[in-house]
Amino acid sequence: MTETSRHVTDGEDVAPTDDSQRAMVDETLRAEGDIGEARSLTQDAWRQLRRSPLFWVSAAMITVFVLMAVAPSLFTSLDPAKGDLSRSRETPNAAAWFGRDLQGYDIFARCIYGARASILVGVFATLGTSVVGSVTGMLAGYFGGLADTLISRIGDIFFAIPLLLGAIVFLSSFRGDDPGYFQVVFQVVLVLVVFGWPSIMRLMRSSVLQIKPNDYVSAARALGASPVRILRSHVFPNAVAPVIVVSTINLGVYIAVEATLSFLGIGLIPPTISWGVMVSDGLPLLRASPHVLLFPAVFLSLAVLAFIMFGDAVRDAFDPKSR
Amino acid sequence: MRGTTRKVAVAAVSAVALLAAGCGGGDGDSSDSAAAGAEGGEITIRGCNPENTLVAGNTAETCGGDVLNVLISTLVHYDPESAEPSNDIAESIETDDNQNFTVKIKQGYMFHDGTEVKAKNFVDAWNYTAFGPNGQEGSYFMSVIEGAEEVGAEDSTTEEMSGLAVVDDYTFTIKTTEKVSNLPIRLGYTAFAPQPDSFFEDPEAFGKNPVGAGPYKFDSWTENQAIVVSKFADYAGEFGGNVDQITFRIFQDSGAAYSEVVAGNLDLTDDIPTSALIDNIYQSDLPDRNAAKATSYYGYIGINPEVDKDLSNPDVRRAISMAIDRQQIVDTVYNGTYTPATGWVSPVVDGYQADVCGESCVFDPEAAKAMLEEAGGFPGDKLTLSYNADSDHKAWTEATCNSIKNTLEIDCVATPLVDFSTFLTKLSDREMKGLFRSAWVMDYPSIENYLGPIYGKGAGSNYFDYDSDEFNSLLSQAAGAEDLEEANSLYQQAEQVLAQDFPTIPLWYGESKAGWSERVDNVVITPFGRPDLRVLTVSE
Repeated sequence: MTETSRHVTDGEDVAPTDDSQRAMVDETLRAEGDIGEARSLTQDAWRQLRRSPLFWVSAAMITVFVLMAVAPSLFTSLDPAKGDLSRSRETPNAAAWFGRDLQGYDIFARCIYGARASILVGVFATLGTSVVGSVTGMLAGYFGGLADTLISRIGDIFFAIPLLLGAIVFLSSFRGDDPGYFQVVFQVVLVLVVFGWPSIMRLMRSSVLQIKPNDYVSAARALGASPVRILRSHVFPNAVAPVIVVSTINLGVYIAVEATLSFLGIGLIPPTISWGVMVSDGLPLLRASPHVLLFPAVFLSLAVLAFIMFGDAVRDAFDPKSR
Repeated sequence: MRGTTRKVAVAAVSAVALLAAGCGGGDGDSSDSAAAGAEGGEITIRGCNPENTLVAGNTAETCGGDVLNVLISTLVHYDPESAEPSNDIAESIETDDNQNFTVKIKQGYMFHDGTEVKAKNFVDAWNYTAFGPNGQEGSYFMSVIEGAEEVGAEDSTTEEMSGLAVVDDYTFTIKTTEKVSNLPIRLGYTAFAPQPDSFFEDPEAFGKNPVGAGPYKFDSWTENQAIVVSKFADYAGEFGGNVDQITFRIFQDSGAAYSEVVAGNLDLTDDIPTSALIDNIYQSDLPDRNAAKATSYYGYIGINPEVDKDLSNPDVRRAISMAIDRQQIVDTVYNGTYTPATGWVSPVVDGYQADVCGESCVFDPEAAKAMLEEAGGFPGDKLTLSYNADSDHKAWTEATCNSIKNTLEIDCVATPLVDFSTFLTKLSDREMKGLFRSAWVMDYPSIENYLGPIYGKGAGSNYFDYDSDEFNSLLSQAAGAEDLEEANSLYQQAEQVLAQDFPTIPLWYGESKAGWSERVDNVVITPFGRPDLRVLTVSE
């Protein structure tokens, strides 16, 4: 029986049936509940994800963007910092696929190299907010009392400052004189983490509050498990799902925020190549040479879209109510 | 005028320009009949938020300066076309030795509050501006007057400069610290405006409701929205305005102001955004309603060889200069409107000589490489070109760096600093390595203004620690010269010393542009780079 059910749900080696029929079978099997092995929420989500075209499309796009960030030379052999002023604002042609910008830089090469900064910022800001937010959220939710009040109020303070305003103040006052590439990137990441962690903290806290009264937590405590052990092995795995979901969606948002900051001239700064900076540089040329603005804008939109779609797919998978 | 935000001095209409603007009735009588056809009407033009309140001695930027230019009169005024100085309030400015000046002023010149302009209004105003504890931006311009140093100290208790004395109601004398042959030319600058007695009672309140002796009087100032001025009926001078009322509508963004002009909702903007400059889009947006004029703006690259030893060899600096393709950068970044520089002085001033820099300012990749090799190559591994990121310098600095990089194979990086004050602090603290952007806009139309304040020993804008005995002695000889011609020829020799020592790298001379609506006419851009609001007429 178990064997059969797995075959049907996997759906790979059965004769093709139409989707609705398959979904019905699936539904019936699940409704019976006790058939099939016990599956964790994560395993369940993975099954759901595998069947989502949104997931595969976005995952493919993300793979391409990550590859660009890691090894830009796979995509182009041109030097993105080689400016040829005599070919300024050239329209797209065989030599320069996306044309050239005001400085005579190859736009295609710069779009490819620009991915690194955006992906770095997106990934590290997401990791940073998730780690800080989860840890503080768990502490607040699990211990309650003074710890909860303290952490929540501190979170409220940061939450009350609008992200863009905070970032502008922070970056314009604490920027050193001659920052290197990673220093610039991590300043932006730091700002996003400082102003982004409270939302994750709140999410984690409410999630922990839901998990805490469960029998298995009480059981673990009765057996004498330390708070660290309880948090790590019992609370965290069961409470982390919403954080994963929100973080993946936020990743796209952070990339967009980075571009916004760079556009305003306070995020990433040259010689760091970034889509936000390219869009900012291309804006004055909008009427004369729209392609200078268009291509980085398309790359930026696609990257943000890919991560948000990915987050969407993950949310659908983790949220039982949406099934 | 240091850098970008320095104020630009007043310029006024000559009777000739008024005639030209008129209907040309033909009897050649007076400017009255000529002006009659063009007078009246109300216009709205682009303004921006003044940095301080509207006090002439404390305004060093164009936002407040544009308004003050029509509110005040000074001893001397500059012709809108040529910047040629001629007497305004001054009846005469006389001297025998270029150090002791006697100023006689015209009688009957009125302030807007009905009091007459007298000698003490000048002396008191200048003392107030120079007095250190008052912290006035214009105090720098007083430094030529004897006693200014003592009065200007931050904790000074002496309030009056010893070099100024009132003789009678309409006469006063000026004694300068050393010989200054071009002092009369300098006196047209806004900081030298007289102030009415009411100013000294409460300068703060006065700045919000300024009173001057100019052709327009102050009406109202709505914070962040508009400043309104209207014609002063009792204006006694010969450089009056044509339009009845001028509203300065305050814009933060040059693009917004420009769109309003194109749409016909705003009558004049002197700030055409880059987006409209490219491919001369503004000329098709505003056909026959735009103007461009070469101004006193002079862009150059500064270097402090004391701070950055890599650049202490003049031939290395010369090689870098020859590696910059000025024409190409001007064509691409400035859309061909700027002119590559051939020396250290702008062509618009009296005393300009052509081609002082010679082939050192001409792009020649081969010669540049050879020159660098001969000088022993560039010792460092990275060259920076610093700029202040709060103004529009990114494009040209990056292009300049690329030109140096592509020619000399030195890794050149255009490096932004947050804002102009950070930039200046770093310069004053002598921490700025590598190349840095510099620019100069004249305070008064004289070749001296491009030499003394920039390269003189210990001068305010000598960020290069340039100290040449030959140069300094030529400057002081010129200051004491008998006449202007002799002075200018000595100044020209001083400029040639610069060509040998190559303390800075000349880049280009600037151009200002303006666009206007169908309602206005006779827009004249002065050599200071601002449209002259007094000659402006309404075309309806």
